[in-house]
Amino acid sequence: MIITVASGKGGTGKTTIATNLARTIAQARKAEIESTTWLIDCDVEAPNAALFIHPTFKKEKKVERLLPVIHHDQCAGHGVCVDVCESNALAIAGGKTLFFKELCHACGSCVLNCPEGAIRETSEMIGLLQQGSSDSLRFAQGILEIGFSSPTPIIRDLKKWIIPQETQPNSTYILDASPGTACPVVESFRGADFALLVTEPTPFGLHDLKLVAELIFKEFQIPSGIVINKSGRGDEIIEQFAVEKDIPILMRVPLSRDIAEAYAIGTLLVDAFPQYKAKFNGLHKKISEILQKGLPKQ
Amino acid sequence: MQIAIPLSDNKGLESSISTVFARCPFYMLIDPETKVFTIEENPAQNASGGAGVKASQWMIDKEVAAVICGNLGPKAHDVLSAAKMPTYKFQSGSIEETLTAYNENKLTSFFEPNVDAHAGIQ
Repeated sequence: MIITVASGKGGTGKTTIATNLARTIAQARKAEIESTTWLIDCDVEAPNAALFIHPTFKKEKKVERLLPVIHHDQCAGHGVCVDVCESNALAIAGGKTLFFKELCHACGSCVLNCPEGAIRETSEMIGLLQQGSSDSLRFAQGILEIGFSSPTPIIRDLKKWIIPQETQPNSTYILDASPGTACPVVESFRGADFALLVTEPTPFGLHDLKLVAELIFKEFQIPSGIVINKSGRGDEIIEQFAVEKDIPILMRVPLSRDIAEAYAIGTLLVDAFPQYKAKFNGLHKKISEILQKGLPKQ
Repeated sequence: MQIAIPLSDNKGLESSISTVFARCPFYMLIDPETKVFTIEENPAQNASGGAGVKASQWMIDKEVAAVICGNLGPKAHDVLSAAKMPTYKFQSGSIEETLTAYNENKLTSFFEPNVDAHAGIQ
């Protein structure tokens, strides 16, 4: 089972929900043989789930991409590379080919099309993957190298590294996505069985919840459920949307200073307030039930 | 000899000069002496990235003699200076006034970019 936690808006509590849910499932299944629970932090631009999980990392893997290197002594200045570059990362000026690395999407077209064979590739590290564990919970994260702007390949490699092609029935993967609804979030949803949408009862929370719900509806057609975090005031706007779109509200976490304080020092809700164990177990149970029933017919 | 001027509209010599270099809709290619000109659509206007590079390459390929523009970002500046293309700062005024200033050598050159990357994205 693969559950992706997303929200659209940043700061709604994706990581709070993902970390606590993953810890709860891992603890509940501790006694089960061969059952594994993974938390995968897919917010590779700012991974922070580890701050709550305190994992020990055991393995690392580099993410690399192939970048063109122009051999100026062999360049005849045809400019074919400039014409084939969809990213406008190349120019010919003053008889010299200029390359702008930060624009390059590493598609390799310039290398393939250079009539002189003057462009070759070199690999460059764009990110790092790490995996390890914390008690019975397995944990993995990707980290985008500073100075790079493409998180999606890191997420793709991270998922490939951790999630097997055929997942075992007793394996659960909780993916903590980044905010937004762009490519990194789409990549985090690819292959997921369930979309857990964390929101807050504010107009901003609702606005971005709508965007992410639309993304799920249009691109993935997987079942989804809502968690209202910082709940207690203004929940009606979320409730109304949930009824309209027939998305169940699975859990609420109240807006509370105690919760904020526990969060601020890196403590999981389920550790700071044991009553939350039952709530997160309940959340897991509801998700499992929805998945067993299958997606309601449209 | 033609010089390139970014435009925010297409009204012949009455067009407004755009302060944006690579994301403007049109370029005027004009002979500063005879005022003979053409107005062409900017192929880089809606580029998903690298608009400054693409627009600069376009001007180099058009073999313009100089560029007059309000803002110039770092990548466009790199490309144009590699081509040894003279670039002049547009201050304010009409096309005619700007060309007069150009002909009288009253425009200042860009020695470095004056805006950050992506400054032209609205």
